[in-house]
Amino acid sequence: MPPQTPTQTNEPSSLPTRRRSLRLASNPNSDPSQCGAGDDSAATAVRVSNDPNSGPTGGDSSGKGGRKGRAADSPTATVRLDESGKGFLNLRSGKKVLKRGMEASHDNAVTNGDPGSGSAKRGRKTRTQKSQEEEEEQKCEAKDTDSDVDAVKIEKHNVAEGLEHFDSGDRGKRKLDGDAVNVEVGSTVAGGRKLSREEKGKSVANGEPHRGAVAREAPPLENRSGAELHSEERNAVPVQLRARERSRNTNNNNNNGNQREHGSNRMEQFRDIARENAFRFAHFRADEEENTNDDSVPEPEPEPEVEHEIEDWPGPFSTAMKIIRDREKKDTQTGCRPSERSLVESIEWVPKRNQSLTSGKFLVPSSLQELCLNILARNVDNIASLDSVPDSLRHRLSQLLCDSGRITDHFLELLVGGSPTEIRLRNCSWLSEEHFTKCFQMCDTANLVVLQLDQCGRCLADYVIYTTLAQSRGHLPRLTNLSITGACRLSDLGLRALVSSAPALRSVNLSRCSLLTSSGIFHLAESLKSLLKELYLDECNGIDAELVLPALVELEHLEVLSVAGVKTVNDDFVKNYVTARGHNLKELVLHNCVNVTDASIKIIAEQCPGLCVLDIMHLEKLTDVSIGHLTNRCRALHTLKLCRNLFSDEAIAAFVETSGESLQELSLNSVKKVGYHTTLSLARHAKNLHTLDLSWCRNLTDNALGLIVDSCLSLISLNLFGCTQVTDVFLKGHSNMQLQMIGLQNSPLLQNVKVPDPHQGALYYSSVSMDCV
Amino acid sequence: MKKEDTVKLISAEGFEFVIDKEAAMVSQTIHNMLTSPGSFAERQHGEVTFPEISTTILEKICQYFYWHLQFASGKETEFPIEPELTLELMMAANYLHT
Repeated sequence: MPPQTPTQTNEPSSLPTRRRSLRLASNPNSDPSQCGAGDDSAATAVRVSNDPNSGPTGGDSSGKGGRKGRAADSPTATVRLDESGKGFLNLRSGKKVLKRGMEASHDNAVTNGDPGSGSAKRGRKTRTQKSQEEEEEQKCEAKDTDSDVDAVKIEKHNVAEGLEHFDSGDRGKRKLDGDAVNVEVGSTVAGGRKLSREEKGKSVANGEPHRGAVAREAPPLENRSGAELHSEERNAVPVQLRARERSRNTNNNNNNGNQREHGSNRMEQFRDIARENAFRFAHFRADEEENTNDDSVPEPEPEPEVEHEIEDWPGPFSTAMKIIRDREKKDTQTGCRPSERSLVESIEWVPKRNQSLTSGKFLVPSSLQELCLNILARNVDNIASLDSVPDSLRHRLSQLLCDSGRITDHFLELLVGGSPTEIRLRNCSWLSEEHFTKCFQMCDTANLVVLQLDQCGRCLADYVIYTTLAQSRGHLPRLTNLSITGACRLSDLGLRALVSSAPALRSVNLSRCSLLTSSGIFHLAESLKSLLKELYLDECNGIDAELVLPALVELEHLEVLSVAGVKTVNDDFVKNYVTARGHNLKELVLHNCVNVTDASIKIIAEQCPGLCVLDIMHLEKLTDVSIGHLTNRCRALHTLKLCRNLFSDEAIAAFVETSGESLQELSLNSVKKVGYHTTLSLARHAKNLHTLDLSWCRNLTDNALGLIVDSCLSLISLNLFGCTQVTDVFLKGHSNMQLQMIGLQNSPLLQNVKVPDPHQGALYYSSVSMDCV
Repeated sequence: MKKEDTVKLISAEGFEFVIDKEAAMVSQTIHNMLTSPGSFAERQHGEVTFPEISTTILEKICQYFYWHLQFASGKETEFPIEPELTLELMMAANYLHT
């Protein structure tokens, strides 16, 4: 459950009233000694609370003036000592762990509780809230000479059941120690519940079980001699101590150990509760999981000699590396070898755009299409028909509506009306099953070529498919592109039905369809073996890479394969697949397949001469050797996507030197070492580069970026997330007028998420010919 | 307005709108027609016909051109569009790359 703000109470409002009345009526029972103490403290409570006082937290407490009367009204319900350990535990998630004890005990907390920290945040539960308010009263009254009485009262209070009692008592205790206590109240309370506070940074914790809380055991009841106890507490507890220690100290000092027995049961309970909930606070570190990798093939350790080897082999990579090293030598001849940073800083670039010329803002009027789209988006329900609106505009409108959350059922009806050729919905999470069924039952799908229903988990299940898209065999005769990402309720049988109703499929996107297994893919491959060109299986972790490999190999003409995020992908899989079908492969996405190593890239480079797009984001086991292989062999590569890889500046520069002319899209997101060499190589060679991602490359200075942007004449889009080192010198000084920068200064995000180019054909790499159907 | 600085846009019904060249260039399509090295007939006569665009829409488009120029030079106003026209206007704008 999501954490709630501390100011939010999750108690029904009827409780306070009930409690109030009960508080007035209830009587302490069970423990006679405690009861006796209770009476004393009750009286004192009345007395004390009647004194208006402005303590250090006067501001807060003054607001609670009204409460004082209430406290005074309830002389009896001071200490609830009957039940043991039956307080009401309210965990951060709001779950009630222990059954609520008698109201009396709560009332006790209410009446006697010190309001917690003087800070504004109140406990979530009204009960604790009240107790906190009471505490606060007591807090300001702690300055009194009657504070010793408070001490007694608080001790009693501590004995009471439930953690709130402990909290309030604890807080009360804190106040005894003076101003510093108040300051620390919030933190001290949290000291006991250290985890939750640190977790959530909230100033008030609610009644969660804690070792600290446990340690804040009930103070001794017999030390009611007030003054001496109180002074003992005061002296015994150094102000700076953490709550837990402090409570222990105070308790230990005062405790004759009588209360420890009471506490032990509770301690057990609290420990159990802590155990139950510890998982909430556990942090998982992914790299710890590395050791569980049980590859049969031992991974080769990337040794320095291997790296030298790749440079020694004759080939473009070694040539490029030589160039780079020579360049570095030349540029650093002046002195000792400078560090990376100073190398980058040596780049010279002059902002060409005169900053003073652009006065004020650079106004860009919206295009007429955008204006119209916005109006249409606002008046979706008034659109009567989308007849004669070309598909590209339909897609833009659909995208805008999905992104802005304005899409309605009516719009879907518009889209399926007539005999549509393309339907694209990049977000179907708003769509209900009923409406989906209604629309697609009556949709004329004879001409449907592209169907995109992304994030359709809610509306697309097997039984829905049988009544809509797979109503009959060949119901989707011309369907070429099908994308049903996120169809988490789609099973192998549903996929089978879909495939049998769409015999002409060329591109299938089944990302995040978590129920699919390799048998579903086997069926897909059987039906579409010579047709399927693009297959996306991102994050389909129900599919085991090893088991599905034969099915993938069966697809004769597959050009695009994406197995991003499939954990079972390893070097063996890549090797076997690529050896069988690599020659046709144009796009390979291994994003987040963390078990892939240099060996895979070597095989890819050797077997995929036509590879155009390679996505190796988050593959942290790869070394410069991989870049070497790619540089030497993959000459057709025009898009390379890296993210958080551990490649060096020189290796990437060498790649750009060699392949820069054909490079169109390059992502160096979080490739930390990018700097001087890459900058120069990009500036010199990347003339056709249109999309560049340099997010989190913090070695790049204004000058470096300026040089890149002014030299890469085709550059249209530049991502600079996390590049806070960039200043206006670059932002206003570069001369590339068509450049769109994303990631700085509130640039719009959703519009820049990659969408299929509406002017492009249905498939990325081939044209679709329908005559073979 | 001198003749050399203007172009004539002709709607489906035959209405002729004479506007500044600078305004017409807001449309990428018209810009290409008028500045490309080939010899479009439009370039020679300074006239462009749009058989698919109705008069009301073409009028609105011309208004948009002038609004665009004003906005870019600093005058930030809103461009009002009647909802009934929006769909057709969007399609025409799409065609004109504007």
